[in-house]
Amino acid sequence: MKANKIITLCSLAVLLFASVYGLVYAWKNLPTTYDGTKTDVQELYNNRENASEDKIAEADGAAAVIVNKNLKEAYAANDVASIVFDFRGYDTLGESFILLTAIAGSFVIVSRLKDHRKEEDSHEV
Amino acid sequence: MKYKKGINQRHIIVKCAADKFLPFALVFGIYIILFGTVSPGGGFQGGVIVASAALLLYLGYGYKTASKALNTEVLRVNESLGTTFYVLLGLAGIFAGAVFCRNIWYNIGPVGNLISAGTITFMGYAVGYKVLCGVAFLLLLMLGLLAPGGEEDEA
Repeated sequence: MKANKIITLCSLAVLLFASVYGLVYAWKNLPTTYDGTKTDVQELYNNRENASEDKIAEADGAAAVIVNKNLKEAYAANDVASIVFDFRGYDTLGESFILLTAIAGSFVIVSRLKDHRKEEDSHEV
Repeated sequence: MKYKKGINQRHIIVKCAADKFLPFALVFGIYIILFGTVSPGGGFQGGVIVASAALLLYLGYGYKTASKALNTEVLRVNESLGTTFYVLLGLAGIFAGAVFCRNIWYNIGPVGNLISAGTITFMGYAVGYKVLCGVAFLLLLMLGLLAPGGEEDEA
């Protein structure tokens, strides 16, 4: 029992050290990702036809590319709707079928439960 | 009876609140489904909000009235119907000569209009209809277990 406790404490200490070291490393060395501070998204959205390539490079990420290229690629006026129903249409289809399957399964279980309860009540009376 | 510990007595305040909030839930949910492609929201969210109207009906009037007002069999069939419409609208992309779920019939109005984004608008409506029927059916199915003595006798 004592050896187990010692092993647990040692592994916890190693985990704590590794997480603290990782946090310090991330704080100091990792580059900052795209957070949208340098991009005027509204202006890009309004002139998506005329936006130059260096503006896309300046935006540093997928957002500006999507906003610029969306109309040419997906022919959709709304970017998010085009992603949900066009680019990721299979994903939405799968979500729909998940709900359908869950409801069918619970229908089977609950109807059997109801039959069981009816039998019990008739026995009681 | 063994299962008679559900919500039997309904307070007048709960009833009045259900009366007042039910039309707002319906209108707000249908608004979110209709404007899903041009605003925050969408089919799933609006469908769940509309289905909360069934819950309000249960809270105000009990399981018997709710199951009388909303035919669960019709809801169950219409859920599958919404899924079928989604698949058909996705197949429309293939029939138009592109891939599955491709947006066709686009650019039929100014950007930001209700029907301007092509078939993805109607795919959103199909998903909303499907979630509306499915979640309402699921709620009524599970609330039927709370009803005392099955579905037959309730105060």
